[in-house]
Parts: sequence; structure tokens; C-alpha cells
Amino acid sequence: MSFIETDVQKDLRASVARLGERYSYTSYTLPRARAGEPLTELWNEAGKLGFLGVSLPEEYGGGGAGIYELALVEEELSARGAGLMMMVVSPAICGTILARYGTGEQRRRWLPGLADGSKIMAFGITEPDAGSNSHQITTTGRRDGDTWVVTGRKVFITGVDRADAVLIVARTEDHRTGKLKPALFIVPTGAENFVAQPMEMDIAEPEHQFTLFLDDVRLPAGALVGQQDAALAQLFAGLNPERILGAAMAVGMGRYALAQAVKYASTRRVWKTPVGAHQGIAHPLAQTRIELELARLMMQKAAALYDSGDDTGAAEAANMAKYAAAEASIRALEQAIQTHGGSGLTAELGLSTMLAMARIIRIAPVSREMILNFVAEHTLGLPKSY
Amino acid sequence: MNIVVCVKQVPDTATERRLRPGEGTLDRATPDGLINELDEYAIEEGLRIAEAHEGEVTILSMGPAKAAESIRKALSMGADKAIHVVDDGLAGSDALATSYAIAQVLEETGFDLVITGSESTDARMGVLAAMLAERLGVPQLTLASKVDIDGTRITVRRVSDEGFDEVEASLPAVVSVMEKINEPRYPSFKGIMAAKKKPVRTLSLADAGIDADQVGLAASATEVVDFAARPPRQAGVIVKDEGDGGTKAAAFLTERKFI
Ligand SMILES: Cc1cc2nc3c(=O)[nH]c(=O)nc-3n(C[C@H](O)[C@H](O)[C@H](O)COP(=O)(O)OP(=O)(O)OC[C@H]3O[C@@H](n4cnc5c(N)ncnc54)[C@H](O)[C@@H]3O)c2cc1C
Repeated sequence: MSFIETDVQKDLRASVARLGERYSYTSYTLPRARAGEPLTELWNEAGKLGFLGVSLPEEYGGGGAGIYELALVEEELSARGAGLMMMVVSPAICGTILARYGTGEQRRRWLPGLADGSKIMAFGITEPDAGSNSHQITTTGRRDGDTWVVTGRKVFITGVDRADAVLIVARTEDHRTGKLKPALFIVPTGAENFVAQPMEMDIAEPEHQFTLFLDDVRLPAGALVGQQDAALAQLFAGLNPERILGAAMAVGMGRYALAQAVKYASTRRVWKTPVGAHQGIAHPLAQTRIELELARLMMQKAAALYDSGDDTGAAEAANMAKYAAAEASIRALEQAIQTHGGSGLTAELGLSTMLAMARIIRIAPVSREMILNFVAEHTLGLPKSY
Repeated sequence: MNIVVCVKQVPDTATERRLRPGEGTLDRATPDGLINELDEYAIEEGLRIAEAHEGEVTILSMGPAKAAESIRKALSMGADKAIHVVDDGLAGSDALATSYAIAQVLEETGFDLVITGSESTDARMGVLAAMLAERLGVPQLTLASKVDIDGTRITVRRVSDEGFDEVEASLPAVVSVMEKINEPRYPSFKGIMAAKKKPVRTLSLADAGIDADQVGLAASATEVVDFAARPPRQAGVIVKDEGDGGTKAAAFLTERKFI
């Protein structure tokens, strides 16, 4: 891993930044988030420019680069307040899993669309009784002749209204041992007996979360992703990119908040000097900058490990990066609001709205506490409480 | 059709720009060099014309080694190849000297259409297109907000204070464009990857047949005699509204001939 980005990475960063500036926070994303409307124009343009599919294989219309580049795209968009939540799900989780483990038919059918953004795939693992304890999911796939019949319930599934399909994490019965093992199914959102109900969230966001009811949804044999026996590895392949992209969104939002705060602190005079001259304002901003930079570095390390093929090494780094980025971005937004005084809470700036967005990343896709559990158990070798 | 787009790297207008003491030339060593904004419109127009008329777009840039970044960016937008004229002897060239150097290169490469931005954000002379056309002996169509090409006939809308004039000429010609003309594309990831492999010819003064005595600071016809930092902004006038705020504001504007 090098700390020096290649010309391609630098140019990509610059081009994405320009796109993000056009669809900037206060003029585009914020009003859309408040109206609960999707960022379709930005999504389509980012897709057309090859930004959404940058990490997917070239032979399926992607850019052939890595998760490093995909995270870079998400970070630069988010740094203009134009982060795309569905990037975390559609190309990063679903695209990666299908590219690595999908059948030839699944890749041909889905990857070109996921790469250019013309197709969207949501991802559903969380259930009412299986959030942090995701291995306790009860959605099951049962074989019936040539078809699969999937039954279960999912909650908090993002972007289902705009998605063509949801990659559903379920379990199947091992025909030899009778034990349940994870399996991934591509479930079209238009499938019969598939019902998506919007959840009422207290966050202003362009995407919505849904409760899904799958009541004997019948799927063709080709709906099962890859090998029935390899589902755990498949799932794992998608979760590292998910965490890295989550970190990228958080780092980007933190950068946005810090830039706003610094601009205001440099110009707003209350006594003789701009408020940024007071250490009470300057030091927390400097601290924010350090924390964001550290989180970003860990995110880049995770991406570099992942792209080198080291899934296990990437897991620890991706978890740490997501933890650090979420914490740093929340503090950055907190401090940005405080730096602005009363203006920090005005609708015009939308910083509280962004704080709520940053707050998501402390909980999803894996909570702060579960990352601390992971590090305590796997890195430090401490005993497990659960 | 052989289209040449002239591209200049300029310091980022968002950062503070400085003049070098002594020479009075712009300090180009600042870290953030960008493509001059209007040149992006020129590149976009060149690409659109090339797409519609089976043309090829060559980027021509004169500037220090660092300008290679801007050339790469122009190539990533979709231009086919580039020429970079780079030589210490060019430093400090004014518009007249620059137009001479660029015209020399254009004479050698040949062209059907030369497109430039209508001015650069650093020097803001806005004369290069006219000077180039004059030196090359071809028509100049400046301040274009729309370009149409039909065979060898070129028609542009030339922006004026009242509206626009329609100006027509025959190719080869030099066009300078305004920002109203189009919306420049962003480099796609494929474009960025492809730019790495596109040919960039680097020319010194000698390579390009440019006479060293006619370029650079010493040969420039204009000279910066003196310069000073902009005086600090004066405190504004605060009009207190005591029921007559509108009248007072109007009086203020009338006094300064705004209304
Ligand atoms: C905006 C948003 C979008 C989402 N999008 C998706 C999506 O697209 N697809 C999807 O599948 N899911 C999605 N989720 C769900 C998300 O992944 C879960 O909310 C998350 O994994 C936490 O699970 P939970 O909500 O069930 O919390 P719980 O697991 O019930 O946890 C509750 C609290 O207890 C803590 N806790 C639990 N166990 C332990 C322990 N052993 N030690 C210490 N603390 C513990 C947790 O950290 C948390 O603070 C989304 C969630 C949100 C908020």
C-alpha cells in the first residue's frame, strides 16, 4: 500500500469532486432529503460516468478498479454533501458478491446494470429478531422441485422502492445434516407474495427503509447466488466493502462539516478577531481534522487489504475504519454546529439533518458496540459475553 | 476535421494569487493549477464538433512542466492527443509573444479549426484568439456562444452588449468561446484510464521552431512597471431604516450611478 495516490486515483477524485459540487448539499441533496425524494439525477450521472461501477469487472461494464476507488468516489461525493447511500448497497455489497460468487448468468444479467446504475439491488439481512445477532435470522429458503420458496421478514431494508431486486440473506436446510446454513437469494421486488412497507424513520433522507414480508415467494433455481455451500464466504465478501463504503460516507460528511465550520470560524467576528482565533473553537476543529484523517487512513488501509485479496486482514481494518469514521464524523458535525452558534441550527445550513445521517453509520451496518466486541474478542483475545 | 483546442493552466481562482516581485509576473508555483475555466468550454465544444463531424481533437498547451496535469485532464475529457510546449525561455511571455509561439506550432501541425476560451482567469487579456487569427491569416470568430459548422462554412453567435451578432466565415478559422456555449463534461472513469495512453508530444523552443528572441519576459512588448496589493476594503455604509430605508438605499445607489 502506498500513501501516494496514482494519477488515475487523483484524476478520479477531482472529477467526482466536480460532479459533487454540481449536486451540492444545500442546493440539491438537502431539499431532496427533506422531501424524501431520491437523488436520481446524480445517481444516473455518476453511473454514466463509470463512478458507481468503478470496482466492478471491466468485462461486465465496470471500471476494473478496486474498492479503494469506489470508496474514493463515495468519500468525494459525501464531502460535498452528496453521498449516495445506495452505493454502499448496490455496487459495493451486491455487485461485489455477484462479481465474486455469482453464476455466469447472474453476472451477465445484473452486473452491467449495477455498474452503470440503470439497475439497483438492495440488500436485506436484518430481521426484527436478528440485528446485531444476524446469524439468528429465520428467513428460510426451501427447495420445491426446480424452484425455491422463501419465507420470512426483514426490517430496515434501504431503498427497496427504487430497487429492481433485493439480495436476501436467508437460510436453507442442509439435506444431509438437517442444519440450517446461510444462503443468498436474488428476489425481484415485483415477485408475487413479496410486500415492502415503508418504515417511518425520524431522519430526513433521500432513501427510505422498508419492512419486507416474504410469504412463500417462489423463485427459479437461478435465484440462489453461487454455491449453496459457500454462502458464508459470499456474505463476508460483501460485508467488508459495505463497512469500507460506510466509512467513506462518514469521512466525507465529516470533511463537509469541518469545511463549513472552518469557513465560518475564519469570517465570523464577535469580539475583535474571527471566532476561529479562539482556542476554544480552533482546537476542537484541529482535533476533528486529526480524527478524520486517521479514520480515512484506516479506511484506505482496509480498502488496500481488501483489494489485495486479504479478506481476513481487511475485516479488522474495515471494522476499525467504520468505527473511527462514524465517531469522527459525528464529532465533526457536532463541532460544526457549535462553531456556528445559533446559525448552526438553522434550516439553511442543514447541519442537524446531516448529523442524523452521520448518526446512522454509528448503528448500521454494524453497531459501534459490535465492532468493539469484535476487536475485544478477535484482536485482543478477550472472552465473549454473549 | 483537425481541431486544435488551446488550453492554459492557471492558478486556482479560489486561492490567493501573487505576483512575483521584480518581474511583476504571476507566481505559477502555487500548488493548485487548474485548466482555465473558459478553456473547458473550448474543449467541450471541440469534442462536440469532433463527434458530429468525424474530427480529431488535439490539445495545445504552452506552460511549465506542471501544465502536464491539465493536459492529462483535457485528454481524460476525451481529446485524442496533445502538444505541450515547455521551455524555460517562454517564462514571462506576454500575449503578443504567446500568440507568436502558439502560431508557430499551429503552422507546423496544421488545423481546420482552432478553439480557445475567450480569456484566461489570470491575465484576462482576452486577445489571444484575435492575435492568433491575425498571425495565421485566417478569420477570427470571437466571443462565441454557439458554433455551427456546415462543410467548410462556420457560423457563430457572437455575444454583444445588446444581444448577439451572427458571424460567418469559412474554415480554417479561430474561434473563442464564452461559458454560455455548453456545459463541459466531467471526465468519466474510462476517460481517465484512457488518457494515460494518449500521445503527448513535448516540444522545446527549438523543436517547435520558435525564435527564442521573440518570446519570454525580455522579448515581451508589455511590461509591468509597478504593482501594489489591493487596499483593504472600506467599512460599508449602514443605512438604518426609520421608515425611509428604501429612499435612503435608492439615494445611495443613485449617487454611485447604479440607478
Ligand atoms: C438508516 C438505516 C438503514 C439500514 N439499512 C439496512 C439495509 O439496507 N439492510 C439491512 O439488512 N439492514 C439495514 N439496517 C439495519 C442495521 O444493520 C441494524 O439496525 C444494525 O445491524 C443494528 O441492529 P438492530 O437495529 O437490530 O439493533 P440490536 O441488535 O437490537 O441492538 C440494540 C443495541 O444493543 C447493542 N448490542 C447488541 N448486542 C450487543 C452486545 N453483544 N454487546 C454490546 N452491545 C450490544 C447494539 O450495539 C445496539 O446499541 C439499517 C439500519 C438503519 C438505521
